[in-house]
Amino acid sequence: MNDNTVSTFELGDALATRFGNTLTGVFVPGSKIALSAYRHVKWNSRDVPSETAGQDPVLIYLAQETTLFDEPVLRSLLAESNITFATLQELGQRAPRAEYLRISHMYRSVVRASLERLEHAKKSPEVQMDEERQQRISETVIVFYAAECLWHLFEILYMQQSQLIVPQLLDWARFYAPQIEDRATDFLLMAEEASENDDYWNVLKSLVMVGALDVTRAILRQNRKASQPAFKAAELILASMPVYKEGFPLKKFNSQWEHWHVDAERKIRANTFGSEPELEQILQLVTGSNEHWDAGIKESNEWYEFLPGYLLYTKPTCKPFELKIAAANWLNRWTLLRPNSQLNNMSRMISQLMEHDLRLFIYDTQRINDTNWLTTHMIDLIYHSGELKGYFEQNNIDLPALRHSMIYEYGSYLMSTRSLWQLGIDYLDCCKQEGKAAMELLLPRISLRSDRHALKLMSVARKRGLIDVEQEICKVLSRQSFDDERYGNALEWGIRSKDVLLVTGIADFILKNYSQTGNMLCPDVIVHIKSRMFISPRLVFLSKYFEFYELYRNRDFLAAVELLVNLLNSKITPDYFWPSLLIDTVPLLESKDPKIFSNETVAILHHLETELVPIIERNTDKLGNKNAETVFKDYRAENIDEILNILRLACARNLARSLVIENTSPES
Amino acid sequence: MSFPTVSSHFVSEKISSVRWLPEQLQQSDRFVTGSWDMDQNFVRLYRLQSNQYADTNVDFVPRCNDKVAIEGDVTAMEFADKNTLAVSCADGHLSLLNMQRAVEEDQLQRTARSERLHYFKRTNKSSPCTDLSVYGGDIATVGEDGCVNIMNASNIKQVKRTIEADSMSLLSVCYISQQQLVTANRMGVIRILDARASTAAQEKISIMVGSKDEKSSNYVSALGTHPMQHHILLCGTEEGTITVWDLRNLQFPASYLSAHESAITDIAFHRNDPSKVFTAAEEGEVWMWSENKGIGDRNLHDGKSAWLSGDRLRSLVNVDGVLTRIRKAINSFDMNGPRLICGGDTEAVYLVDNIF
Repeated sequence: MNDNTVSTFELGDALATRFGNTLTGVFVPGSKIALSAYRHVKWNSRDVPSETAGQDPVLIYLAQETTLFDEPVLRSLLAESNITFATLQELGQRAPRAEYLRISHMYRSVVRASLERLEHAKKSPEVQMDEERQQRISETVIVFYAAECLWHLFEILYMQQSQLIVPQLLDWARFYAPQIEDRATDFLLMAEEASENDDYWNVLKSLVMVGALDVTRAILRQNRKASQPAFKAAELILASMPVYKEGFPLKKFNSQWEHWHVDAERKIRANTFGSEPELEQILQLVTGSNEHWDAGIKESNEWYEFLPGYLLYTKPTCKPFELKIAAANWLNRWTLLRPNSQLNNMSRMISQLMEHDLRLFIYDTQRINDTNWLTTHMIDLIYHSGELKGYFEQNNIDLPALRHSMIYEYGSYLMSTRSLWQLGIDYLDCCKQEGKAAMELLLPRISLRSDRHALKLMSVARKRGLIDVEQEICKVLSRQSFDDERYGNALEWGIRSKDVLLVTGIADFILKNYSQTGNMLCPDVIVHIKSRMFISPRLVFLSKYFEFYELYRNRDFLAAVELLVNLLNSKITPDYFWPSLLIDTVPLLESKDPKIFSNETVAILHHLETELVPIIERNTDKLGNKNAETVFKDYRAENIDEILNILRLACARNLARSLVIENTSPES
Repeated sequence: MSFPTVSSHFVSEKISSVRWLPEQLQQSDRFVTGSWDMDQNFVRLYRLQSNQYADTNVDFVPRCNDKVAIEGDVTAMEFADKNTLAVSCADGHLSLLNMQRAVEEDQLQRTARSERLHYFKRTNKSSPCTDLSVYGGDIATVGEDGCVNIMNASNIKQVKRTIEADSMSLLSVCYISQQQLVTANRMGVIRILDARASTAAQEKISIMVGSKDEKSSNYVSALGTHPMQHHILLCGTEEGTITVWDLRNLQFPASYLSAHESAITDIAFHRNDPSKVFTAAEEGEVWMWSENKGIGDRNLHDGKSAWLSGDRLRSLVNVDGVLTRIRKAINSFDMNGPRLICGGDTEAVYLVDNIF
């Protein structure tokens, strides 16, 4: 990551090179840029096809920000931190401090677990074969290692409210510079023989400088000359060094410390260690001799490496606010002694943290290539814990707004990334109106893989009151099913979408298909629609008609007749279905044993004359007399006139018959 | 009595299905997971290992031993026999995977892949295969094309029977006997099919689950039968309710219970102890329903399951939350003795030990 590297794009296809390799870009949803060749057009350019039009294909490229989260192993980091994030949201802003510290620990352990998984994955044969992936994993490890290191330091300085920071800083520095401890372990295992090692004293010095006094003493005790007076005296000095503990009276400690310090320096001056110059150097370090520490600085890799150790020997009771000055001084000293060395990003950010320059720190964390994972979660934690509130107010930073925008961006990123959408939801949930709006836009863009997938999306939308999204999904699926000629499926999605027009359209299609072919589509679905039919009057008609159809097929004619007459009276019969519906009465009217009473017959006749005939007349007027036959393109109604005659005759015959029967029945 | 212990393990995959490997005489310490909605989906074989880090209270850690890449989302998995796993996939195919148990590294291998079983007639596009059920050596699959395909595990290339059961997407299938199976569609219609009869010869027996709002659909998302009394059918629905049917009496449901607040994703009786029922839900819950022993002794002398006792059911079962507040769907679970394993969209598997 360098400030000066700006990514450059070049298309280089035939069309682009023709016009000096220029390009134009448009942002498209999902943080992508669509790039295509571009030619400058001025106000006075003529709007004509260019001379080379049609010669080269127009290519559109999609550029997308690379992200480390393409690595599958890293998904667990996202998923786990998502859970921690949600826990924190539930905690709110009023929980005890220890809870926030616990959350901070959880975030860090998430990163550490992921780092472990990444290291493990790196060694797997699958990755060993794939150089690109190996490279990617290595980069990821570096990025998240840094993230964890920074978070840890942040936690020590700002999250935990201990006034005693030196021991934690020592742990922190040691954890991120494990090489020295590794060597020390070797020496401990080698016991006496270690003393002859060329590196022996260098390693010991480093150990002292990182503050690992216990280990140093253990190694010294194993030295061949450990029984000599110089070593014994050294051991005595090191063992008697007072260690400040929380709650110990500061004044008392300071006087103890002074006393020990004077005593140690006196012993050194008395040339107690004259015979062992290397040992003397170690004790000089412990007493904080500037000259010796300067020599140590020159050896160090990073500026912060020996700072905690130095504090241990010179200012063991350092408070967080004092660290600011100490760190600034130390950094100055370091740069003076090593004028050629440059601070890398991580070192710079560590100095920002120590010097309480959070503004710059937050600015810099956003440039880490982790798609703002670190910044988003850290700022959210700061916001909830309420630490540093004063700092942000003084510096005129609107923390809630900052948090809001970070979470919004991060959530949108997850939502627009395939298969991470479920994680994104939780983040957008905290963004109030904007989050909801973003979800409304992004949810329908998720390509549907299956019904289950769609149902999951819908339940997410429903829970958040995004009714439009839910219905949109249903509509799309309904249309798809309809195009696939899966009408039952289309009908059910239509009912779910609550879109009256859509359902009416499908019901119309089924009815029309029936009146043309006599074939009922998806009977198994229609029979189960039941109360759901009330969404559309057409669907009510379809269901009721289907009920009639079933009764008729089961030869339950009396019930069928009743339903049919009800349908005729219902006023929901679509125009195109009138002939079909009336023709259905013919076999019932004409059957050997009478099934329709006189009143019903009159009603049928009435509908025939007042509904069907006007429709025919209207259509005939519109289309002209010649086309009378094509008014209803129904194979059962090739000839309208004939049908009308048959119907009228049937009604007349049945009316006569039923009147006779009704008036001669025994009761009357 | 010991308390259940729950441990979660992140696997970097959304889990659609999880199954213990069947073991005859001992507790199983191997399980398989199938993933969905990933760039590349896998069936993975895990093995429990004792935890190396002594400082935590987690006894076992699963370690992936082997994996097989699957063409699309894994939708369901079931063991056809001790070593053969049937896997249905969203590309409309069925696969058989073979496990080889070993001392060090177990192995997983695909031994057969069926022809395309489910597709849409008009466009000839693949239709997702949504669920499968196994009985004896027979495997039945259902898909969004509304068809049921039945084949034998010994030769899945050859489909024994295809039944065009429904004109709507089928979401779930379950064998109730060698010859009979039940399917459920998105409108909540459950059909009982004869595995031996062709489409035309089917008897068209269907029942429908109720819904809180008569005007909206309530799909049946999960089916489960009693391990001994196959006529007891549990249906978990979109609304989070459980409808129990006694398949000998289809007039009305035997019991109806409102349970979860969200769609039920999986439902099952415990295989060895049918007094326990487990349900998992979309909002990240797993509940255990246990028959109330004290009352049960008196009232259930006839051997009738509490689940058929209608309105009294509420007082006859206790419910315990095994997993709660996971916040994302638990898609599948499986139990083995006192151990329960769950997986879902949190990209983690949850291992619950000492469940009772």
